[in-house]
Amino acid sequence: MKKVTVPEQSLGEKVVKHAAAIKVAMKESVYPLTATVFYPRERKKMPDNFRGYLMFDPDKCISCWECAFVCPANAVQMKEAPNKRYYPTVDYGKCIFCHFCVDSCSGGALKTTKIHDVAYKDMDEMLTLTEEMIEEPEIIREDKKLVEYEIDEQDLHLKRTREEDTLFVEVTPPVEIPMVSQCIEPESCLGCRICEEMCESGAISSIIERQVVKMAIDRDKCTGCGLCVKECSMQILRLVRK
Amino acid sequence: MAGIAIGESEWEVTVPEKPLKDKLYFENLKAKVIDTNLCSRCLTCACICPVDGITAVDGVDFPDYEAKCTDCGACVRVCPRFVYEPKSGLGTYIEFIAGRSKRFAGQDGAMVTELIVSAMEMGMIDRGLFAGRDEKWAIEMFHVRDPQQLAIPTLGGTKYTFADVLPALKKAVRFTKRGVGVVGTPCIVSGVRKLQQEFPIFREKVKLVVGLFCTENFHYDDISKFLQEKGVDFDKLIKTDITKGKFIATMSDGEKVKFKVKEVEDIVASGCNVCTDFTAVESDASVGSVGSAPGFSTVAVREEPAKKVIEYIKEKGYADFGEAKPEELDYLINLKKGREKNITKPI
Repeated sequence: MKKVTVPEQSLGEKVVKHAAAIKVAMKESVYPLTATVFYPRERKKMPDNFRGYLMFDPDKCISCWECAFVCPANAVQMKEAPNKRYYPTVDYGKCIFCHFCVDSCSGGALKTTKIHDVAYKDMDEMLTLTEEMIEEPEIIREDKKLVEYEIDEQDLHLKRTREEDTLFVEVTPPVEIPMVSQCIEPESCLGCRICEEMCESGAISSIIERQVVKMAIDRDKCTGCGLCVKECSMQILRLVRK
Repeated sequence: MAGIAIGESEWEVTVPEKPLKDKLYFENLKAKVIDTNLCSRCLTCACICPVDGITAVDGVDFPDYEAKCTDCGACVRVCPRFVYEPKSGLGTYIEFIAGRSKRFAGQDGAMVTELIVSAMEMGMIDRGLFAGRDEKWAIEMFHVRDPQQLAIPTLGGTKYTFADVLPALKKAVRFTKRGVGVVGTPCIVSGVRKLQQEFPIFREKVKLVVGLFCTENFHYDDISKFLQEKGVDFDKLIKTDITKGKFIATMSDGEKVKFKVKEVEDIVASGCNVCTDFTAVESDASVGSVGSAPGFSTVAVREEPAKKVIEYIKEKGYADFGEAKPEELDYLINLKKGREKNITKPI
């Protein structure tokens, strides 16, 4: 068995080490090193792609329902708008802020904000309708300082600056790989033309000549949104790299 | 009739000709098959319909087809009776044997269950479509992916009611990794073969088709009403069977209600009056009770996949095998062949 012993130290070394310890104690009693952000008077600086309150742009939405399908908490539900299109609503009572909906949105209609304090007075308000997601929400801001975390070699420091953070930022979308829809198994095509009906950009066309249905996908018009791929009942359409 | 690729993003689909021009394909199907009482209610059309519009609540129908139907002609392409080529006889077979499963209980020898489960154990298929029932003897489809699921006692045993096997098949072929096993009446077997002929996914994924010997079938509403009139209590009913021209309903307390099959003739589904196939000649293996000793099932092994499964069962000793007599089937085969005269001329 190995025995732990006190290391041999000279008197000089002991004095230096005690002095260092007293110095830290003095410093902490005067200017304590804490990592507390005094919210709401201060606000922590969030990264631009912070997963916060969601905003929505109906012009970019193609009603593909992908956000509602992907939502693991079932917080995103689609609702019919007066223009007969389906747009998402978010129930913040269920939302876990995973932002799978933002990631899955092929049109870039769902956007994130830096608002982390998504709080409501009652449960009914938590269901955010599409109309409420278009405009920037009204929030009460008391923060005067912006706090940034800085890590040097060992310690975590808080850097405070007297400025207000902008909560609504335009995040540059990630570089998209251009995709295009393609029929991988023409043999199984029913000729039901549901894909044509679904296509937002008018890329899919069909011509019926007697007993022959001629289908064609315009590769230039196709935006690679994937609506046709999802709706194809025989699942013979795929998105491939352009 | 199938689609062919022309270019990278262009393809052509050849659709069938319409006997009634200026009408939707479904209207053609309705006029030629459903309204002429040719329809066997196999629901191959419902399986392939891209908008899932075809239903079979009270006969096969497509409610609201004017609005929903895309007029693709898929239902006509796959319907086994749109261009009806009646099949009859015993069909070709590699082996004609009687079997009794040692592992399962079911109708007679429970060979249908045994075939599907053994195919699952061999890794040939990873799911089988079984027709289960609720306590009122209405059919519910089950996707069996694990032999343990067969502990549900209602999955085995014959039900004399139509089952929605094929609508469930579309989902099954999509989710399967290895293959699907299907059990069905001769009309369902014909539907599967038609699907396989037209679409590669069914050729690749449907690995085992077990046909059942079938004289006729009944609509649920008709047969349940008839049985209730005969004093059959559905809460106690555990087994239905047709043996030697008699319909036998067995109760849980051992009581049996028997009557002659002739009495149910009036409620036989109209599509069965024109069906001439008793032994499901197009299946991989046909199973039934006629032609073997009581407690045994007759198995007509027709195709290579079924042959492999039977060899696997023999190797593992899962079932007792005996002799079956094909000539005992002659009476029913001829009875069904006689229905050929009921087929009216096409419009």
